[in-house]
Amino acid sequence: MTALPWDAQAVRQAADTVLAEALYWFPVRHHSPAAARHLAAAIERRKPKVIFIEAPADAQALLPYIVDKKTRPPIAVYSSYRDDDNTLGLAGIASPAAEIPPRFSSWYPMTTYSPEYVALKTAARLGLEVVLMDLPHHALIEPANAAAGQAAEDTTTLNRYPEDQLYQRLAQEAGFRDWDEAWDSLFEFGEYSADLSRFRKELATFCAAARLGSDPARLAADGTLARERFMWRTITNTLKTRKIEAAEAMVVCGGFHLFLDRQDPQPPPGLPAGSTFNAVMPYSFFQISALSGYGAGNRAPRFYQVVWELGANPDPDEWLSRHVVDIIKQARREGEQVSSADAISIAQHARMLASLRGRAHAILDDIEDAVFSCCCKGDPAAEGRYLQRAIDQVNIGKKLGKVTPDAPRLPLVEDFFHQLSVLGLQDTVEQESRITVKLDKRQDTQRHQSVFLHRLRYLQIPFCRLVEGSTDKLASGTLFKEVWHIKWSPEVEPALIENNLYGDTLEAAVFSRLKDRLAGVSKLAGPTCRQLRQAVDMELPAMVEKLELACEQAIAQDERYVSLSTALHELQMLQRHAIYQHQAHEVIDKLIESAFDRACFALPNSANAPEEEQQEVIDALRIVSEALLGTEQLDQALFIHQVQHAAAISEIPFLQGALLGMLAELRVISIEESSQALAGFAQQPAERQLAAGDFLDGMLATCRTSIMLGADHLVNAMQVLLRAVDEESFLIMLPRMRIAFKRLHAAQLDSIAGLVAGYLGLEESKQLTRLETSVKAAALFAQIDKKVAAIMQEWEL
Amino acid sequence: MPRKNTATQDKGAGRLRQPAEIQYREQLQALASVDDTDRPENWRLSPASVLTYILGGEKITTTVKGKKKTVEITRKFYGDRSIVERAIVTLASDRALLLVGEPGTGKSWLSEHLAAAISGDSTLTIQGTAGTTEEHLKYSWNVARVIAEGPTADNLIPAPTMIAMQQGRLLRFEESTRCVPDVQDALVSVLSDKAIAIPELPDANMVWAKPGFNIIATANSRDQGVNELSAALKRRFNYIHIPVVADAKTEVQIVKQRATELLQRYALPTKVPPPVIELITTVFREIREGKSKEGVSLKQPSTTLSTAEAIGVTIESALRASYFGGDTVAGEDIARNIVGSIVKEDLNDLAALKEYAKLIAQKRAANNKVWNSFYQGVQQVIRQ
Repeated sequence: MTALPWDAQAVRQAADTVLAEALYWFPVRHHSPAAARHLAAAIERRKPKVIFIEAPADAQALLPYIVDKKTRPPIAVYSSYRDDDNTLGLAGIASPAAEIPPRFSSWYPMTTYSPEYVALKTAARLGLEVVLMDLPHHALIEPANAAAGQAAEDTTTLNRYPEDQLYQRLAQEAGFRDWDEAWDSLFEFGEYSADLSRFRKELATFCAAARLGSDPARLAADGTLARERFMWRTITNTLKTRKIEAAEAMVVCGGFHLFLDRQDPQPPPGLPAGSTFNAVMPYSFFQISALSGYGAGNRAPRFYQVVWELGANPDPDEWLSRHVVDIIKQARREGEQVSSADAISIAQHARMLASLRGRAHAILDDIEDAVFSCCCKGDPAAEGRYLQRAIDQVNIGKKLGKVTPDAPRLPLVEDFFHQLSVLGLQDTVEQESRITVKLDKRQDTQRHQSVFLHRLRYLQIPFCRLVEGSTDKLASGTLFKEVWHIKWSPEVEPALIENNLYGDTLEAAVFSRLKDRLAGVSKLAGPTCRQLRQAVDMELPAMVEKLELACEQAIAQDERYVSLSTALHELQMLQRHAIYQHQAHEVIDKLIESAFDRACFALPNSANAPEEEQQEVIDALRIVSEALLGTEQLDQALFIHQVQHAAAISEIPFLQGALLGMLAELRVISIEESSQALAGFAQQPAERQLAAGDFLDGMLATCRTSIMLGADHLVNAMQVLLRAVDEESFLIMLPRMRIAFKRLHAAQLDSIAGLVAGYLGLEESKQLTRLETSVKAAALFAQIDKKVAAIMQEWEL
Repeated sequence: MPRKNTATQDKGAGRLRQPAEIQYREQLQALASVDDTDRPENWRLSPASVLTYILGGEKITTTVKGKKKTVEITRKFYGDRSIVERAIVTLASDRALLLVGEPGTGKSWLSEHLAAAISGDSTLTIQGTAGTTEEHLKYSWNVARVIAEGPTADNLIPAPTMIAMQQGRLLRFEESTRCVPDVQDALVSVLSDKAIAIPELPDANMVWAKPGFNIIATANSRDQGVNELSAALKRRFNYIHIPVVADAKTEVQIVKQRATELLQRYALPTKVPPPVIELITTVFREIREGKSKEGVSLKQPSTTLSTAEAIGVTIESALRASYFGGDTVAGEDIARNIVGSIVKEDLNDLAALKEYAKLIAQKRAANNKVWNSFYQGVQQVIRQ
């Protein structure tokens, strides 16, 4: 690490100059209770006419909802931007296709103790004006001609605080592990925390050091300079137009921006054309935590909440004790055997560590180290993993925010909450823990719930996951039952907002998206039939008719075996569903017949499929053969004929094996015949012999039940084969053979292993179990043993 | 060329090896001379000075025999700073310290230096083995005198534990998990009551620990399952896990410093050039991790290729070069000595070295003399 290029005098001078300005600058750290507390006091004392806050300017209209008393942090300002006319030229680069406009979004999170939130609340209480002064995020998106392209994720909050890297370096040079430790040691709980003016001065000095050590080129590249130009222009323009003196205003921003260039002649960047949307969203402690990947993340949102709630000048022992006890309780829930004596030791150890590290009070780093010292009996990465999980859970917490119902919502979001309420699922958004919901679709309410969840699933809203579906397995016997996992998270609302473009209600949105997707798959029978099944699950009768027609056309046009067999599978599930529901299924019956016939005729096309498609072909073979079970509607002879034809023309050992295995499974040929084909490899040239493993793998992939009827033939064939190959060839064949046998169930493997053992004359188990004797005989054995022992002793053996 | 017999091996003391408190006496004295902060009772240094002694990096100007002198505090332990901090704090608390980790990670080394800095005595040591008995831990008797005079305090032979308790010092208990559980459990009363009962003595039948007494035990994580500590004993120990050195640069630094110290101790004039030290740490690291820096997957032997093993191989190579070669250790010397580190219990581990030589060393040998010498050396060893 190279030394940071600053001198102490220059740093002090830079800080003093800014702090002496008429305009009152207050440096903050995001999500710091100490900064929030001092800031609130500064606002109370100065009562400025206007407060400029470093938050996205386009969220200005949302301020009333943020400070509303029914709003409870954690919350976030969500901003999205859609480049409708491809102004930035990123369509197809930052979006999946050229015709799809790229979308970008960003979050600006706040907790109860975020200085910005506290400033907003204090200003609202005192009737002071607030101006949000930061550049909206979409102004920083690089157009295609300026950069190779920028992923949508890049414009989230991750890169909004690049100065943190400089703080990190400064902290390490000062002997701290990281910036978090330095902050807590010095500013949050340390010597600079007690007095407002000292806090402001020392933080400004620290930030001046970071600023002087930063590379201007990097600041230009990461957008810092562009943001600062916008901030400074907002400040100067507002003061000028409102005729407010600088001394009557206050600026709340990250300390790094205190040193923005007031003389920078360049104007800030303009905002690109497109659709924007801003909203206040509920957020969670997890999302605010550094563990979630949030760049300006707080390492322990819950811990700092406790500290905040303890008020000004809290007793350090109070938060230490509370935190340690919470960790101990959580560790017990994780299965760790920790006692109250451990809690006492942890607190003592943490205090002593703090003292050794030159701190007046224990901070999170000391507590965490103390937990591992006192409770982890081994390697923290192994034996300590549950402790670490307990610490993370207690540090982060599960708190979820709430936004006032008065805040405007998009129609789709409104429909979502309305349906939650109607369907009795509103409790699910009260917590961020997973709920398991079991549904029986024969009951009306539960059927409606299922439809609602299926619609959300189709729209890819991260709210629910189908764990067991009624239509996933034909033979599962749970045609009407479904199991869902539901978990609310702050990502739900943004996902709904993205879908608002497709319709104002969930039904309209899924209808419109189904139509869009159908356009992309209309010539493929499998995906089209899957859309049909999904339309049935989502109860879209108007769409079902259209889809039935689309399926008919797709089946008629499709020549791909795998796609047709998928269509067959989907249609059979629909058929079964309709039968149980006593619904008409003539159209489905016809589609099934048509899909089956088309699949049979398409099968030979796949007889020499490339390697990457071979497993799909095997799966499709099994689907079609299973479709034959229990129905006379389908033409079995046609399928057998096509399998024989495909086997005859296939030149790929894996597929040859699979096709012959399928014929054996259908009892068209015997296992002996298919095994002979395997043994036939023994007569082949050496390079051809190597493919025997592939052949066997294919055979066992399709021949599952009938293999046990002729397992001895298979074992014999393998013996013939293995005797014929040399060691090197065997080693090459071995991995594929292992894979082949892994396809069998444990019972089948046991049976084959028994046969092999018998073949090799290994019958030890039988000898052991068949030992039968009487008490008299046992006594005789004992006598003989004694005599033998005596003889051996005599012979000195 | 065979060298002249110049081995002095610490003429002054006539000892092959000095304990840390002697070897680093000057540094300890320098620290004590400027240490005016609070310290636990009977500690020679404050916790902060102990930390400085272990981690080094400071220069202290002090007066030695009336003359001003600047003493550099060298780094003794290269692991994470918080490991040392936690160890020191534990020794100042009610709980004992158990340093646990893979063989060769520096547990005993750290234990010795902690005892030297805190108690000024690192020799109150019990070496745990399967044959260690409770007498080794607590006390035994001068049998002849007991027969003549009966059990009296004068006839009692205190074990290191009892001496440490009486003097308020640290006891070192090496390889604690090699002892059978019954012997380990003898420590429960020592750690909870801070006393040893002597039922044979009718009057003074209790020995109480003075402030400053504590125990630093060490245990190999590989031996943990051999005689795992009882729950009662576990509760009385704070475990500090010493990991294998995380980064290559630090490992090179450790091998370099320790090898230099040991070469001085053996009075060997042999030089170990930096590229050779880099080679040996690279070989150990890559085989230990099962991956070369180019990303080639490698076989991993059953042995732990610790930093201590790398130091051992370096010294053995220096000895070999010194007595049977020249003045400088070459890659070939390393190759001849490395086999013993890799192949210990299982002959199949030789395959790991063979593979490494073929896949990695051979390629590097093409344009690097040290690697070429190493590769040729391995080839010779394998052929033998």
